[in-house]
Formats: sequence, structure tokens, C-alpha cells
Amino acid sequence: MMKYLSSHIEKRNLVPFVWIGLLMLILVGCTRPFFWMDDDVPGTFRMDAILEWEGQPYSLGMETEDHMNHPLRLDNLQMYISEVALRNEQGEWEKGDKVHLLDFNVQNQRILDAFPPGMYDAIRFGMGLPSEINADIDPASYPNDHPLSVVGSAGMFWTWASGYVFVKYEGKYALQAGEQLIEPLSYHCGTDDSFRTVTWELEQSIQIRRQNLTTTELVFDASKVLLGEADSIDIVMDPVTHNSEGTILGGRLMDLMVDAWTIR
Amino acid sequence: MDKTPYTSVKESITWLLLLTCLIGCDRCQEPNCEGPDCNPTATPYPLEIPPFFPPMDIPADNPLTEEGVHLGRLLFWEKSLSLDASMSCGSCHLPLHGFSDPAPYSTGVTGAQGTRNAMALINLGWATSYFWDGRAMTLEEQILEPVAHPDEMALTWTEAVSRLQADASEVNYPEQFLKAFGTSTITSNLTVKAIAQFLRTLISADSKFDQWRRGETNLTDDEFAGYEMFLREGGDPETTPGGQFGGDCFHCHTEAGLQFSDYLFHNNGLDSSFVSDAGLAGVSGAALDSGKFKTPTLRNVALSAPYMHDGRFQTLEEVIDHYNSGGVPSLTVDPFMKYTTGGLELSPVQKTQLLAFLHTLTDSAFVSAPQFQDPH
Repeated sequence: MMKYLSSHIEKRNLVPFVWIGLLMLILVGCTRPFFWMDDDVPGTFRMDAILEWEGQPYSLGMETEDHMNHPLRLDNLQMYISEVALRNEQGEWEKGDKVHLLDFNVQNQRILDAFPPGMYDAIRFGMGLPSEINADIDPASYPNDHPLSVVGSAGMFWTWASGYVFVKYEGKYALQAGEQLIEPLSYHCGTDDSFRTVTWELEQSIQIRRQNLTTTELVFDASKVLLGEADSIDIVMDPVTHNSEGTILGGRLMDLMVDAWTIR
Repeated sequence: MDKTPYTSVKESITWLLLLTCLIGCDRCQEPNCEGPDCNPTATPYPLEIPPFFPPMDIPADNPLTEEGVHLGRLLFWEKSLSLDASMSCGSCHLPLHGFSDPAPYSTGVTGAQGTRNAMALINLGWATSYFWDGRAMTLEEQILEPVAHPDEMALTWTEAVSRLQADASEVNYPEQFLKAFGTSTITSNLTVKAIAQFLRTLISADSKFDQWRRGETNLTDDEFAGYEMFLREGGDPETTPGGQFGGDCFHCHTEAGLQFSDYLFHNNGLDSSFVSDAGLAGVSGAALDSGKFKTPTLRNVALSAPYMHDGRFQTLEEVIDHYNSGGVPSLTVDPFMKYTTGGLELSPVQKTQLLAFLHTLTDSAFVSAPQFQDPH
């Protein structure tokens, strides 16, 4: 056989075979799927999270005022975002499968998820974690780079029984202008009952293209956590809620946070 | 022998196969050894991750090996790594004190004192930064500092390496490095790598609390009540939404992964001014980080007195009293210290119960384990 090949195949005729061999080796040998083979990850949808206070750009650590003119400074704002979904032209929700931990102490917070190509006319996501991945989960079961892991969830975990802190909204305030901001403000919301869903009907549909990136801006106006259309929080009367079992105040805050988001 | 076209193609495919494996494939890479310091002939160290602990991320360029861990232990206890050959790492990190120093500030070879309490060396493989102010991001980076620090071991690394290289003792460091890293040429980089390997094996996971979590023993009523206190929110629920009259310890000393530390930085209300020690702000440069220090683990806390970054509290009772008082208000006091105006209001009985729980975190087997003691 080899003699036959040696005598009948000219060297230059073998070049295509070498290239075919190379291609086959790459296809067979690699663990990473290639983009044209990967039907499950056809397009990426990215929401860039932007923090504002009363419609103006805001960074943690900046002094501002609440709706009752209390000098105020937010020092920490973290929240879990899950179940990002887009509604397609058939009215069905395509769901992403990632959990995101937004930490506004860190620049360029983003929510990335993958969706099939197509046109979408609504966006939905969950604030917090759905019950199936919240309580009775051992964070040690996740790899350390996962947002629900021991390291990844640092400071965002209560106990095995009560699960994760969905949102931390922390800072300092003063009773009146001119005073030092030393009064602690500390809202920790969580528990299955605190899970909220945020939905927008889009004026213009967005298009997800195969292997393309589609971006939008997701704005969180932190002032609206204290003052919404239907409710408001007096930070002097209610400066704290920390409860792994849920509180009325915690629920009110989560409701207010739903309306603090806008898509731009 | 002349090559036939077929032979040429066979060679080409062989080379292509090799090239493809080297460049394109995850599976073809050696997962346990990367970089020039790896010795493929060294014996992998069988690191056992305890139940309920998270995975340990070990640097790819410093995998644990039997030889490396052994060398690291020798070096951890090696006094010739100090200027006058009087101190080793273990001089300030005493096993029976949870690998910490019972003195508030450690005294170096020159008689100078440090400015912070020597931290306990426990479960360091899961930490995400090192030192009270987090200025080292890796264990290897952390180990570089004490040897050369003028107030600690005060030896230049050049001299340290020179001493190890010239070692004529029974230990024979060049030989030990050869076994661990495949070279008898000693460097500071290899030295810290070996010590880091040893430190990653300092795993405490057999306290009474661990045994209880594994269902092997029971906690006493007081210990269990203290555990519940540990996990409960502080404050009066009548005045503080979510208040549970608890100790409010779990926020920073989280039990996730049984680490009893969130590995983050907090100002826990010790001071109102941070001129003498800015903590994390000294590293980050951010004023809002003033007075923030890394949360230490509570494992073996009953053994690792004194407490706080400056060792100001001699007993756990004093520590509990500090938190019970609510601490000192300041511009950067942590929101977790949310009761700075009133304190936790724990009763004497509750404080005793909390103390009983903290004692369940003592791991006697860990601090007396023969494999961690001075081998010299």
C-alpha cells in the first residue's frame, strides 16, 4: 500500500490532503467548540449598568441629598441579577442562564448573556435569585470564580437556610446639612419573597445577530430607592433592615428598586 | 535513505498534530504544572479539601508537591533567613497560638517592633489578599516581605539566597530545591514558592464545630445558643427592622465555606481617627478606606489572642464587649456596625453563650499537628 502510494502520488498532489488533515485534527482534537458549530451561543446581549442619582451620573462615595434633604453618601451598592430574558416576535421569552453580581464599587459593571438571533421587543430580569438557587445551596459547591461561590459571593451570603443577600444598599447620612455623615444606612434585602422581576416593553425592538454583540445601557437611579411614585423611605426613621427572614421594609425597598431601573 | 512523498506527508501530519495540540487544545496542556519552576518529576501533594470547604485555587506555576511542601516547612522554620540567624517565620507565627504571635506587636531581630499584630496563618489557600491591609494579592508575594523587612527578619534576599545556597548542613538546601523544583540553583522566587506550598497545607477543619457539622458530635446547649447568636441580626426588632437581638457576627465572619471570614475589609468601629494606621486606605489611597482592615478568620480564635490589627484586646470577652458597645462612630465605620449609638445589648448570659461557640472553633489537632512543627 505504502509503495503504491509512494510511487503513484506526486508530492504536490498531497498538499490538499495535508490541509484536510490539519482541518480534521483541529475539529476532532479541540475541546472548545467553534463558533459555527455552536448553535447554543449565537449572539451576545450586553447591558452596561450605569449608576445615577436623580438622573445625574453618580459614583459611590459622592455626597448627595435624599428627598428630605438629608446629606447622604452611598458607600456600597451590590445586587444579584438573574434570569435575564428577551421576548421574541412569537411572544415567547428566551432566557439567559447566567447569574450576575453587580458591584458598583467596581467600574464597568456589565450583564452579559447569550440569546438566539432574532428580533426582541421586551426585556426582563430578576432582582435577586430565584428560589431554586437561593436557599439550601452550599456556596462551596461552586467554583471560586462563580458569583454564588464562597469567594464570589463574599459578603452576600447569609446562611445555608436563608441563602443570599439579594441587594446591599449601604452608606452614611447626616441629620442636617453641615453635619458629618456618620449615621449608618444599611439595607440588606433577601429571601425568596424578596425576589422581584423587572420588565420593559421596548419602543424599538432590538436585534440579536449570530455571534454579534448587542448592547444597551441599564440605568439604576439610586435615589429612587428612597423615593418612588407609590412609596418613600425616611432614612432617619428606617436606616436599617438586615434580615435573612425578610422584613416589610425589605419588601418595600425591593418594590422601589424595581422602578429605579430604566433602559436607555 | 530518500524520503518518499508519503513519508513527507506522514511527517507533516505528525508535526501538525503536535502543533495543534500545543496551540489549540486545552486537553493537551499539562494542568498541574506550568512555568519554568515546575518539576514534573516531583510527587503531587495529595491536598484534601475538607467537607463544606470551597475549592482551593492554587497558582498554576506553583502546584503543591510533596517535595515542595517539605522544603517549605524547612524554610518556614529556618532561622538563617534572619539577619542574626535567630528568627524564623515560625518565631512570630507560633502553632499553639494558631500560628500567630501572643504579643500585640512582634519584635524583630533588631529589637524593633512591628506596627500590627502577626496574623494567624490558617486556611490561607482560600484567602483573596494578605496582610491586615491586603497589600499582597498572593501568598507568594506576601512571603517576600517579612524576610527583608528591617523590623522583622531584616535579611536581604540576596543574602538569604546566598546562605541557603551555601548550606552545608544535613538539610542540604540545594539538594532540597533540586527535588522540589528540578534545580539546585536557589532563588528568592523558588524560596517563597516553597514556603507558600507549605502554608497552603495549614488547613484547620477539625474543630468541634467542624465535627458537629459533619454529624460526629453534638454542641452543648450553650454552644448551640452561641452559634444561633452568631448568626442572628443584632438589634431590637421593635426599633430595628430585622433586628433579632443577635450578635451580628456572621456578616463579616461568614460561615460560607466554613471560612469564618468574608476576606473583605471593614472598619469595625475601633477608632474615630486613623492617623496612626490608615489600614486599607494606606494601600488604596482612598480616604473612604480609612480604618478598614481585613476580616480575620475566627478559626482557633480562642488561641490567637491578642485581637484586632493592633492587638489591643487581650481576651475574647473584651472583643465581645467592644461589639456589644457598638463601637466608635466615624466617617468610615462599616454599616455592619449599625448599632454604634446603642450597641447589641447582649446579656451576660448571651455573651457567655457566644464565647462558648467561639471556643468550638478551636482545632487542637491542627495546632499540634506534627507535620507543621519545627523540623530542625
